[in-house]
Amino acid sequence: MWKTILRRVLIMIPEVIILSILVFLLAKAMPGDPFTGSINPKADPAQIHHLMKINGLYDPWYQQYWNWVVHLFHGNLGNSYQYQEPVTRLISSRAANTLWLALLTMVLTYALALPMGVFAGRHEGKLPDTVIRVYTYVTYCIPFFVILVIGIWIFGYVLGWFPTTGSISADATSGFKSIWSRAYHILLPAILGALFSTVNIVQYLRSEVIDAKRSDYVRTARSKGVPNKDVYRHHIFRNSLLPIAAFAGYSITGLLNGSIFTETVFSYPGMGLLFVNSISYRDYTVITALVLIYGILNLLGTLLSDIILSIVDPRIRIE
Amino acid sequence: MVKKKLALSAMAVLATLSLAACSSSSSKKSSSGANDNASVKLSESYNNKAKSTTAANNTTLKVAEPNDSPFQGISDPVLASNAEDSDVFAPGGSDSLFNVDKNYKIIDGGLANLRLSRKNNTATITLRKDAKWSNGDPVTAKDVEYPYEVIANKKTTSQQYSSDYARIKGMAAYHSGKAKTISGITFPDGQKGRKVVIHYSSISPSMKFSGNSFLWTTVEPYEYIKNVPIAKLAASKQVRKSPIFTGPYKLDKVVEGESTTWSPNKYYYGKPPKIKHISINVVSSNNIDKAIQSKKYDFTAPGGVMHGTDYKQLKNLKNYKMVGSAALSYDYFGFNVGHYDTKTGKNVMDKNSKMANKNLRQAMMYALNLDQVTKKFGYGMTWRANTLIPPIFTKYWDSSEKGFPLNLKKAKQLLNEAGYKKRNGSKWRSDPNGKKLTIYFGAMTGTSAQAAEYQDYLQQWHKIGLNVQLTGGKTMEMNSFYSTLQSPKQSKIDVYAAAWGLSSEPTPTQLYGVEAPYNMGHFVSKENTKLMNEMNSEKAWNDSYRTKIFKKWQAYMNEQAAVAPGSFAYTWSPVNKRVKGYNIDPSNNEFWSNLSLTSTKIQ
Repeated sequence: MWKTILRRVLIMIPEVIILSILVFLLAKAMPGDPFTGSINPKADPAQIHHLMKINGLYDPWYQQYWNWVVHLFHGNLGNSYQYQEPVTRLISSRAANTLWLALLTMVLTYALALPMGVFAGRHEGKLPDTVIRVYTYVTYCIPFFVILVIGIWIFGYVLGWFPTTGSISADATSGFKSIWSRAYHILLPAILGALFSTVNIVQYLRSEVIDAKRSDYVRTARSKGVPNKDVYRHHIFRNSLLPIAAFAGYSITGLLNGSIFTETVFSYPGMGLLFVNSISYRDYTVITALVLIYGILNLLGTLLSDIILSIVDPRIRIE
Repeated sequence: MVKKKLALSAMAVLATLSLAACSSSSSKKSSSGANDNASVKLSESYNNKAKSTTAANNTTLKVAEPNDSPFQGISDPVLASNAEDSDVFAPGGSDSLFNVDKNYKIIDGGLANLRLSRKNNTATITLRKDAKWSNGDPVTAKDVEYPYEVIANKKTTSQQYSSDYARIKGMAAYHSGKAKTISGITFPDGQKGRKVVIHYSSISPSMKFSGNSFLWTTVEPYEYIKNVPIAKLAASKQVRKSPIFTGPYKLDKVVEGESTTWSPNKYYYGKPPKIKHISINVVSSNNIDKAIQSKKYDFTAPGGVMHGTDYKQLKNLKNYKMVGSAALSYDYFGFNVGHYDTKTGKNVMDKNSKMANKNLRQAMMYALNLDQVTKKFGYGMTWRANTLIPPIFTKYWDSSEKGFPLNLKKAKQLLNEAGYKKRNGSKWRSDPNGKKLTIYFGAMTGTSAQAAEYQDYLQQWHKIGLNVQLTGGKTMEMNSFYSTLQSPKQSKIDVYAAAWGLSSEPTPTQLYGVEAPYNMGHFVSKENTKLMNEMNSEKAWNDSYRTKIFKKWQAYMNEQAAVAPGSFAYTWSPVNKRVKGYNIDPSNNEFWSNLSLTSTKIQ
């Protein structure tokens, strides 16, 4: 298996190179430049021109690309035009915020969805199943943005149970207090995120459980006299997890994607907003860095999913 | 404390601007005559009769900065290029050098005093004796000079350098990297002294006003940042994490992109602040109304962007008073009448361009129902503009100008006179030569209200028989809009709607001058050049003459209608009734010190 993994990683290298060239070209093909947004009576066009020049934005694309690659190998992703600070620093601070929020959301989502899925499958067609199915469909239908606005309004403003902006309160200085403040700030968005993103897991799990219930090995287990509880725990649950394991790899690497909606509504500085803003500001260095990171993460995600799948299901072997 | 740096209005069609400023706590002027045409009258100050208490002042003043993304965190006005940063760092005093009066004219009494010498062409800046940074260091002459070095440095990230600075002797040599220092800036009593003399090739009457493009009006803590290379200044911790200030408050903490907290600066030379703690938080503009309604904040940052829809939601709140003044910005309509000659660096009018006919332009403006549109979509927070100088400039703004109120009859008449007639039974008018006429309207993608406004404009133009269509059949993304307009010659956009945010000195040469690349409609005339030159001529040292020229220019621009006024707006905030002394008049130079609280909780 190690051989396979190595081979996969090696194939990723040309993929990443092609991706980076594409991203670079497409970013430059967009109308405007990092300074288009700066036109105002106080910004002298001659100075803008000068800034464009010293940043090499008038060079031919292959030269800009080459410079970028050379810097990349020195661990330097350049400076953000918009934020005027190194891209690596900017992204790492945002990534930390996004990671904590996404991690908590994921844990809560699985904690909710797994039992619900199994429960619904076990009681197929009965009242609990109907309730869970209705719940998942309803939550799936409502736009997430609306949920966030309603959620922050009720729990943040009316009831005042949760903080409404940012990732940490200003008076949380250090140590335990700051950790608690961070946790407290991500709690509401994470709960809302988890409550409203269970549909995939629940539906997959439910149908897998229903299938598994009728399969031969379950019937065998039952006829052996294995208690119903153990049948579910050891036989059905493990086998039903297969489709979920298939996208677990993506879920893990997808933790860094960030959510534009959550970040906007809760004024939470994360990766999603950074990406969108960098596109509208034509902040080339940030755009290319982020797309490259996302690209690599996606490739890794595929690999990870395959590895997880082979662990969960011994029938599948990567050769 | 005029914030010098203005957010560019290009990003949001409603200009986002910053003007913090203000006046003594209880002197209340009712609203300046500045907003005669506005349907809602807002006052510039909140006359709170309640008494402030020590217990209340010991609590935290909570300020919201309405914005949809994290602020960038550059505390230094020389390097920052957006309004959010200046809003969240405002209690530090924005490092302003000078106090101003209500017309943004520089007056004595601030961190430094200014003397201009017409005879020697110099500006002498003298710091006050007790001027100190919030770390206790004295403010020195070098601190006054250093901003020029940062702005003009070859490797700077600042966007502030303008060719006007080349009037400072030795500046050109420094800017090109040939000289290590700026020879025209001298220190009569040494770099650690209190006096700086700037030698110009010639000085301009605009230098009497804050926000002019010859004189930089903030200081830099040279001793504190001297070891940071200028190219890396904006990323340094001295600018982002632990900046020092000269104003009434010192920064306690900044949470990147989210919030800042402040406490009184014991080294402040001016009026000691009364409130012991201030926090400023970014709040998404999606839920700023809910945040105010549930009493989370005392007010929104003066200069923060609040929309008409927010006003509609908040105006009836019992515990908040809406306070505002005319914004340093305006929306306008531009007509494409020429091109930019890249060889000579000049704008050129084309006699044969589609929009070259004055009657056609005027008719298009008279056809618009801007009074109704602003009323319907602005909820009283925007109103039809009558000139290209916003009413915040009480002295220069000409309230007697009519602008372009709806007049379909006149519009049709103007078109008929000029020969734009319907021929061969066509639904649309053709040009005087009988050729088919299709006019392309360029508009930026914005809110749904803006989309509705654009549709209304089109409808009105169709009413007078003009075939006007959106460029490309839809609104344009901001970048492609400005890329199109700024290309030297273009025929995709004939008329466009955009906005300008202004500095507190309104000379419009940068926008409408012969050599101005921002003159995107390329309107040029001898008269226009003459008027703009006269605004800063020898005679213009006389204030009343300068005012007269500004008014003449407004009338002239309206008559030509090559750039026509669209709408003015309020910059406004809801202010909780526990706050006392809130006043955003530019002459309130002690805005933060004049604030006090009358209750320990937001009411």
